[in-house]
Amino acid sequence: MSLSELFWTGQEVYITEIFLPIIIGVLVFVPLLAVIFIFGFMRHYRLWKLGQPDDRSGNFWKRFRTTLAVAVANVRMIRKNELYPGIMHALIFGGASVLILGKIVRLFSYFTGITNPPQNVYLYASWVSEVGAVLLLIGGGMAVYRRFIVRPPRLNNKPEDSLIYVWIFVIVLTGLMVKGYRIAISEIAPTDWAAWSPIGYLISHIFPTFLTEARNEILVWHRAIIHTVPAAIFLGYIWLNRSRLQHILLSPLNIFFRSLKPKGALSPVDFETTELFGVSKIEEFTWKQLLDLDACTQCGRCQDACPANFSGKLLNPKQLILNLRDHLYEVYPIPLSQKNIESPKDMISEVITDEVIWDCTTCRACQEVCPVYIEHIDKIIDMRRNLAMEKSRFPEEVQNTLKSIGTRGHPFRGTTATRTTWFEGLDLKVLGEDSDVDVLYWVGCAGALEDRNMSVPRAMVKILRAAGVNFGVLGTEENCCGDPARRMGDEYLFQTTCAGNIEIFKAYNVRKIITACPHCFNTLKHEYPQFGGDFEVIHHTQFIAGLIRSGKLKISGVNGSGKTAYHDSCYLGRYNDIYQEPREILTACKRLQVVELPRNRSRSFCCGGGGGHMWMEEEPDKRVNERRIEEIIQSKVDFVTTACPYCLTMFEDGIKAKGAEESLQVKDLSELVAEALEKDSSTGITGSEMSDEVDSGQTG
Amino acid sequence: MDTLLRTIAIIIELLILAAIAYSVFNGVRLTAFDLGIRSKYNKVIIMVLLAVGVIVMVFFIAHLTTFYPAI
Repeated sequence: MSLSELFWTGQEVYITEIFLPIIIGVLVFVPLLAVIFIFGFMRHYRLWKLGQPDDRSGNFWKRFRTTLAVAVANVRMIRKNELYPGIMHALIFGGASVLILGKIVRLFSYFTGITNPPQNVYLYASWVSEVGAVLLLIGGGMAVYRRFIVRPPRLNNKPEDSLIYVWIFVIVLTGLMVKGYRIAISEIAPTDWAAWSPIGYLISHIFPTFLTEARNEILVWHRAIIHTVPAAIFLGYIWLNRSRLQHILLSPLNIFFRSLKPKGALSPVDFETTELFGVSKIEEFTWKQLLDLDACTQCGRCQDACPANFSGKLLNPKQLILNLRDHLYEVYPIPLSQKNIESPKDMISEVITDEVIWDCTTCRACQEVCPVYIEHIDKIIDMRRNLAMEKSRFPEEVQNTLKSIGTRGHPFRGTTATRTTWFEGLDLKVLGEDSDVDVLYWVGCAGALEDRNMSVPRAMVKILRAAGVNFGVLGTEENCCGDPARRMGDEYLFQTTCAGNIEIFKAYNVRKIITACPHCFNTLKHEYPQFGGDFEVIHHTQFIAGLIRSGKLKISGVNGSGKTAYHDSCYLGRYNDIYQEPREILTACKRLQVVELPRNRSRSFCCGGGGGHMWMEEEPDKRVNERRIEEIIQSKVDFVTTACPYCLTMFEDGIKAKGAEESLQVKDLSELVAEALEKDSSTGITGSEMSDEVDSGQTG
Repeated sequence: MDTLLRTIAIIIELLILAAIAYSVFNGVRLTAFDLGIRSKYNKVIIMVLLAVGVIVMVFFIAHLTTFYPAI
C-alpha cells in the first residue's frame, strides 16, 4: 500500500466518527461567528460613515496590488532597520495563514469527497498546517520576548496583549495535541505519521491513551472540543470586542483606500461651499481619517521616527492616533448607534492639546514608516486649520509669521533685506522688464531674505550662467509660495497667496520653474495644480544633476578636499523621492569623500524647520536641529551638504548652539557646485574666476 | 512511577485548561467593557469570573483524576 493510502486509511474512522460531530459543531458556530463579524464590522463602519466625504475611489488594481504587497507580502513591515519586528510579523502572519489554509482544506475535505487514495493536496495540507503552527509559535515567541522582556518604549502593553498571546498559544498547542492523540490511537505505521504530521507524531509519544478503541475515540473527541471551542470563542472575541487583532481586516482596508494623490499635497478647503474651517470635532474628520484611527496596529514605528518625540516634545504620533480613536469611541459609545454623548470632551485642548498640534514639523517620517499608510499629517493640519482660521489660537510667532506673509509677502519678520538685495550687482533678467526667458528661477523667501541663504541663489546664478541657461527672476514681484501659511493652518492666506502667484506666472507666460527650496518646490509642483497652476517645476538639484549628466556642467572638485555627508531634506526626499540627484552631484565632485549619515534617504531625520517651525521658538533642550547636528558631528564630517534653505539655517543655528563652528560647516549643494565649476571653455575662466566675475555682474 | 507520571500528565493538562479558562474569561471581561459596561464594575466582574473559573477548574481536576488514562 502506498504511503498516501496508508495515511488516509487510518483517517476514515476518524473522519466519520470523530470529525463529523466537529464539522456539525463548526456549522453551528459559523453562522454565529458570521453574525458577530458583521456586528463587529458594522460597529466601525457606522462610525466611519459619520465622517466627511473623501473620494478614494478609482485605480482599483493599483490599490489592490498595493494591498497584496503590503498586507500579504509584508513589504512595509520588513525593513532594513526593522528586521526583528518585520520577520516576527511575517512569521506570525505567514504561519497563521498556512495553518488556517491547511486547516480549512482538511476540515472541508469531508464535503469535497475524500477518496482513497486521496489527492496529494490533502497530504500537503496536513504537513503545511503543522509547518504553519511552528512558524506561528516561533513568531509568537519572538513577539513575547520583544514585548515583555526587551520592552521597547514604543510598545505600550495593554491587558489584551498578554491575553492574545496566551490564547493563540493554547489554540495552536491543543490543535497539535488533537493530531497527536489521533496518531497515538491510530494503527498506521509510525513512519507515515512522522512524514505528514511531524509535530503531531512527536506529541503522540508524550500523552497516554486508553487500551480500548471506544474510549480513545472519546478521548480524541475531548481533545477536539478543548481545541475548537476556545478557537471559536477566540474568533468571536476578535470581532465582538474591538480587539487589536482586527487589524487583520482593518489595516488592509486602510491600505486599499490609501491616498494616491502626490505625497506633498494637502487637501484644499473650498471656501465657497464649506462650513468647516478645519477640524474641531471628531466627526469633522473625513471617513478615511476615521478609518485610519481604527486601522492603527499600535506598532509604534511612527513614534520612533518622529523628530518632535525624539527631541522630547509632547507630540507622539502613535499616541495622537490612539487618543483620537479613544475619543471617537467615547463620543459614540453605543455599538451600532450614531448617537453621541451630550457633552463630549473638547477634542482640541482636552484630547489633543494645542502644544501637540504645533509640535509637528510635517516631516512625514511617521507616514513613511507606517506599515498601513495612516495619514497623521493631514489630521494635524486640519486641527491647525481650525486653530488658525476659526479659533485664532496660535503661538505668537505663528501669528506674527502669518501676519508677515499677509502684509509683506514673506515670513521673515525683522529682515532689512528686500527681494532684490541678493542680486544687487548681478545684472539679472527680471521678468517685469524682460520676460523672454526659458526658465523662471524662483528664489524663495529664505534665499532672498535670509542672510545665510543669500549665497545659494548667487551660486545658482553662477551655475545657470555657466550652463548657458536663459533664465530670469521675478524680483520684487516674487511672493511667498504659501507653504508656511498652509502648514501653519491658514488655508485662506495660502490660497490668496497661491492665486496671486499663479496670476503672475500666467502673466509672464511662465512654463518652467527652478527653485532651490524643497518647500517651494513641493508647493508649486503639487499644490498649485489644485488651483489651476500647472507648471513644470524642477528642484535645483535635479536641474544641476541634469546639467552634469548632459556634460553642460563640468566639475573637477571643490576648493580643498574634505569629507562630507548629504542630509536629505524631508520635502525633497520623503515628500518627492528625490534621493539620487543630490548624491550624483556629490559624486561628480571628485575630490570629496562622501559618507552617508546613519539616518539617510527616507529615514532622514528632520532639521526641525518644517511645518512653520523655522519661525517658531523652541525650548533649548528640545530643539530638533541640535539633535540632528549631534548625529552629524558623530559622523566626523568636515561639512554637511543639504539642498534646502530651511535645513541650511537650522543647521547653522544648531552648529552654533553646539559650539562646533570650527569643526563643522554646512553648505548647500549649489554652493559646492559653484565652488567646483571647472574651467569653462567658452569664457576661458576657471570656476573660481567665474565666481568672482559673477559676483561683480560681468557675465550672464 | 506510573502514578507520578500520570499526576504530571494531569498537571500539564490542568495548566492547559487553566490557560484556556483564563483566555476565555478574560476575553469575556474585556468584551463586556468594550460593549459599554462601566469600568466601576471591573472588580465585580473579576470576582464573578474568578468564582466561575474556580468551579470550572475543580470540575476539571475531578474529571481528570477520575477519567484520565492510566500509564
